[in-house]
Amino acid sequence: MRRIWKIYRLLAAQNLKRLMEYRADFLTGAVSFLIDQAIGIAFIFIIFTQVPQLAGFTFEQILFIYGFSQIPKGLDHLLTDNLWCIGYFIVRKGDFDKYLIRPINPLFHVIAETFQVDAVGELVVGIGLLIYAAPNAGLHITIWTVLLSIIAVPFAALIYTSLKIMTSALAFWLKSSGFIIQMVYGMNEFSKYPTTIYSFPIRIFVTYIIPFAFTGYYLSLYILTGNDPLFNIGGVILMSTILFIISVLIWNKGITAYESAGA
Amino acid sequence: MNKIIKSYAPFMQAGIQTLIIYRMNFLGFVIGGLIYCFVMFYLWRAVFDSNGEGIFLGFSMTDMVIYLFLANTTSQLTYSSVSEVIGEEIKDGSISMRLLKPVNTDLSYMFSELGEVTMKLLVLFLPMITGLEIYRFCITGTVMFNAINFLLFLLSVVLAYIISFRVNLCFGFIAFYVKNLWGIGILKNSIIGFLSGSLIPLAFMPDRLRVCLEYMPFASMGYTPVMIYMGKYGANEILFRIGLQVVWALLLYGLSKLIWFGAIKKLCVQGG
Repeated sequence: MRRIWKIYRLLAAQNLKRLMEYRADFLTGAVSFLIDQAIGIAFIFIIFTQVPQLAGFTFEQILFIYGFSQIPKGLDHLLTDNLWCIGYFIVRKGDFDKYLIRPINPLFHVIAETFQVDAVGELVVGIGLLIYAAPNAGLHITIWTVLLSIIAVPFAALIYTSLKIMTSALAFWLKSSGFIIQMVYGMNEFSKYPTTIYSFPIRIFVTYIIPFAFTGYYLSLYILTGNDPLFNIGGVILMSTILFIISVLIWNKGITAYESAGA
Repeated sequence: MNKIIKSYAPFMQAGIQTLIIYRMNFLGFVIGGLIYCFVMFYLWRAVFDSNGEGIFLGFSMTDMVIYLFLANTTSQLTYSSVSEVIGEEIKDGSISMRLLKPVNTDLSYMFSELGEVTMKLLVLFLPMITGLEIYRFCITGTVMFNAINFLLFLLSVVLAYIISFRVNLCFGFIAFYVKNLWGIGILKNSIIGFLSGSLIPLAFMPDRLRVCLEYMPFASMGYTPVMIYMGKYGANEILFRIGLQVVWALLLYGLSKLIWFGAIKKLCVQGG
């Protein structure tokens, strides 16, 4: 365990050095993710100039749900961004060789290699919205709701990570799976708003199949109402654990199917 | 004329072939766009349910659906990836091969891309328009299709594409100065998405902001054609908006030429 931690620190330090070298890149990256967020929030503002409530939630509550959904997304973005490169070009170009010849777990190595600071865009906006919206959102604050919500956040991030591991591992068979990651990841749009606005089949889909609803709505619902911890929080933990196990199985199977590029 | 077709047709053909090879990526973008549209659709439905009046800032739910899907399709159709292409070519040095060819550089980029645009027109745009018209017919019970509006819409889409191409060309030439275009590319796409109204209709913006945005070239890249199609503009307004598009197309043509003459002297191919 200590060895793994040490390796992680070394790799992260390398990343920060790279970051200092390409400061302009980091700035444009972070600014563009911030602008993306600003557009989402502007949208909610415009809606609430015309309606007092959306699907039974007030302005502050909707902001709270939106903000909460960005935190697991940002965490995953911060820590595991390299999986995108696996899907887009690392496998196709045969560069995956390097992960296989080193004496650490390849999946760990891939993830540890990148520390994507662009994610501060999502994290800052998410936390900012929580702080802004919390006083007026009518939260149900007890030790349990706060504690359980905080515990659930890493698990919610794990849902993102698992889906990314799964879809990027498809590249071992298909050579390139960037578009599949893009497609599945893109469904996180569904997590930003109350799941109750969607029609029944979509609700089932984002709850049980690509469970992004757990990364935003159900999490916030628990701290908003204090109801149903078994489903709202237990669901996050159960879903993320199951997905993670499946994703690691697919990944390991994929590595055995990997064949390097010819050159 | 014949000579032009003969010189540029191969670029177009190559564009189509590239798209066919990377068809999965193309499909991914189309499906990603559709997912976004559906999320927005349900969000708007919830808004209209909460509102109870059936009208939101002058848009009915039917309008909203048409706007959402049409704006997304139009922005995909007029999307130009020329800045990324230039960035790649500078990085791997292949731009020197393009510069050696006895053709107009801008036009060669444009024709490579027109192949892609043609495919989008066939597999994305036509089905979408047909679907939307059927949807409109089912909801309102009358045929709302207006041939004149549609032709004006097509004209406006062509102008929108030319503007989008020129804007992206200007962006791409920045790669002559900045070696890494990736971050700037994301920034550019989110700014264009917002300012062109493909995410939120400009009609919903506060009045002063809206007027400013409507005059900017970004509105001409997506918002104008969609509003023409939806019949939101009167005859005079349509003339004015299309005129504005022409003016922007010319201005951006000049600007891209200007940047090009400055940038070409800066070209430095890394180890190509």
